[in-house]
Amino acid sequence: MYLRPLLTFVLTLLLTACGGENSGVAGDPASYPNKPVRVIIPFGPGGLADVTLRLAGEPLGELLGERLVMENRPGAGGVAATTTMLNADPDGHTLIVLTNGTTIAESLFEDLPYNITEELVPISAVAWFDLVLLVNPDSGYSDLQSLLAARGDDLRIATINPGSTQNLTAELFTSRAGMDSATIIPYRTTPDVLGALLRGEVDLAIDAYTALKGAIDNGQVRPVAVTGEVRNPAMPDVPIAAEAGVEDFVVTGWNALYARAGTDPAIIARLNSEIAAVLATGDIKARFSELGVEARGNTPEAMQQRLLDDIVKWRGVIQAAGIDTL
Amino acid sequence: METLNLLAMGFEQALTPEALMFCLLGVSLGTFIGVLPGIGSLTTIALCLPLTFHLEPLLGLIMLAGIFYGAQYGSSTASILLNVPGSAPAAITCLDGYPMSRQGRAGIALFMTTIASFIGGSFAILLLVFFAPVLANFAISFSAADYFSIMILALTAASTLSVGSPVKGLAMVTFGLLLGMVGTDINSGQFRFTFGIPALTDGINLVALAMGLFGVAEILNNLNEGKVPQAGQEAITLKNMMPTKDDWKAFRYSCMRGSLIGSFIGMLPGTGPTIATFMAYAGEKKLSHHPEKFGHGAVEGISAPEAANNASVQAAFIPTLTLGVPGDAIMAVMLGGLLVHGITPGPQLVTTDAALFWGVVASFWIGNVLLLILNLPMIGLWVKLLSIPYRFLFPAVLFLICIGVYSVNNNRVDVLLTLGFGVMGFFLNRHGFASAPLLLGFVLGPLIEENFRRALVLSDSSLATFVERPISLVFLVLTAILLVFSLWRKTGTTHSRSQAAP
Repeated sequence: MYLRPLLTFVLTLLLTACGGENSGVAGDPASYPNKPVRVIIPFGPGGLADVTLRLAGEPLGELLGERLVMENRPGAGGVAATTTMLNADPDGHTLIVLTNGTTIAESLFEDLPYNITEELVPISAVAWFDLVLLVNPDSGYSDLQSLLAARGDDLRIATINPGSTQNLTAELFTSRAGMDSATIIPYRTTPDVLGALLRGEVDLAIDAYTALKGAIDNGQVRPVAVTGEVRNPAMPDVPIAAEAGVEDFVVTGWNALYARAGTDPAIIARLNSEIAAVLATGDIKARFSELGVEARGNTPEAMQQRLLDDIVKWRGVIQAAGIDTL
Repeated sequence: METLNLLAMGFEQALTPEALMFCLLGVSLGTFIGVLPGIGSLTTIALCLPLTFHLEPLLGLIMLAGIFYGAQYGSSTASILLNVPGSAPAAITCLDGYPMSRQGRAGIALFMTTIASFIGGSFAILLLVFFAPVLANFAISFSAADYFSIMILALTAASTLSVGSPVKGLAMVTFGLLLGMVGTDINSGQFRFTFGIPALTDGINLVALAMGLFGVAEILNNLNEGKVPQAGQEAITLKNMMPTKDDWKAFRYSCMRGSLIGSFIGMLPGTGPTIATFMAYAGEKKLSHHPEKFGHGAVEGISAPEAANNASVQAAFIPTLTLGVPGDAIMAVMLGGLLVHGITPGPQLVTTDAALFWGVVASFWIGNVLLLILNLPMIGLWVKLLSIPYRFLFPAVLFLICIGVYSVNNNRVDVLLTLGFGVMGFFLNRHGFASAPLLLGFVLGPLIEENFRRALVLSDSSLATFVERPISLVFLVLTAILLVFSLWRKTGTTHSRSQAAP
């Protein structure tokens, strides 16, 4: 007698559950999140994006009430990572980390099978980091201008591979500093760049502050300028590029969380405010600054503007430098 | 004397119950994943890295390092028993390890590789303890021209890796060089041989290539022959695990030479254990009075590469810990782990974090002893693997290879490439083309090209840089000697053969 309504009830529940899973409709913001949240990282483990996201991911998971599960999908300008992201439901349970490297890939890979500016929506920035211009302390140069004046056209700059933020920053630097005859020598990894500077086979190295913080703290290499808009609090004595005599040369790297387009705006808003809360905690601020990274969120609108601006900026640098695109 | 005091302090740090526990945990996990084909220490260390955020830095580093060198112990096991390498560096161990296994000497082979691993590892640890700062500064002074000349020597030695036709060996080296070019050219940023496929812009994955050529190809070969490898079915007792007197004789010096080559290659940033093992093998074959025994179960063919393998991974810590210059991706991940704790490796680490530095160094040796204790009793167990029926064993191995390759980059394309390389390797092997020269060409090609071009940029396009730099000159001279020696020996043997002919 009561079996039928009970059965109907159970069936309805099941159908709703399955339907919600498969229909691709944006998740229900009221019950979000109702399972662990995947965060796709377009880099291998141990790198800057990976470490910062893992550090911030833990308290963020606590605030959300579900664990954040990091998934590394390295390689090929983030294509593998983005493809994985776009195969997930737009319900806020799968997020992706974009970086300034993503904005470079937009120009390096012309025929991407997706359009990140339309198919992904911003949540918030997470971390910001400076690049540094470094010399060998034994070289005798203590400031950028004396180095540029002394080496002139013979200036040699070490960075990692062409198409990287570091390498394009060097391209931008040579054009802004009027040093177009300088040679930018690409190395495979940051340790190789450090080695080249320690051997004295290059005059200048440009890399992320975080990556070479150890060598800077140890006095193995000497920073002569940072690429940020303001001085880096960890190195208050090191001038920004404009102060060192190179105008209009500002590069700040960033990591940001994005979701799939179509995700409920309420979920985006919730994530944005929780991230802001996490980044405001003293513990995260301290741990990030130990890494040489600034913990700072922003609004989705500001984030998207930044992404679009950087795509334009790097496209100009790539075209000016004549770098091969796919 | 002071070094010994500091080392004693290190042992104090590394002998606490917690430290011992994490060391044991690390090396056991390392051995285990080392045995599994394809699943490498990089993946495992990366997975365990977040765990160490909550540990004391010393304990975390002890565990991660244990996984790293523990994996090298395990990686030769599958090479010897199944002709399927546990990792790319162990591919070379297949060449003589598997024939030994087929001759019923699997127990002896495993015993000797374990001892060789221990000696190689210990040798490099001694270097780390007593000469780390000197060696690190020496290693970092190697410039592009020097790397080029070292790699040329390695490539020349590669000619010995092939059994049979030298032309076929040369063809495979060249093929390897071509495969190594796939991806983004480091100097210009040009995409080469990528055919518009984004997944290829990072180049071909070494693990996919090694597992395909050695692992999948071997499985296909066995299926084709339709016979079950019958080696090592007899019970393993202590007696038939014990090497003969002749074995020890062959072992002694080859193991030392392997340790030397491995330590040297290991402390050069950017080289890696695969080059170390291949060079050690090639060197042994060149020096041997019986090069014809290689490929048919020569003890030198397993002891030298295995010693080199472990020496190189331990020596890789020399520049990592003393200069903050990690030699490879695995070292970089470990440095990342230290940075999270606010510890920055570099010249100051030895003084500012002396307890950490010496604790880790001491734990290396403790870990190696643990590995020895752990691995010797396991030999009998591993050999029993062979009694698992072929129809169960090989699907399982194939499955593990796929998981292992996938886990490197979480990339499906790599799995497809592995299977493709497997089919390719199967046909190549059937027609007498060996896989080892191809793999070495693949590893060395990009390094040679990259350093050649960088050396020319640095010297303003003067080729003289290769003979003006002393280190480079030494290796070029060695290469020349090797070439002349090979030719002389070649004509010598043809001569004696023609004399012997009726």
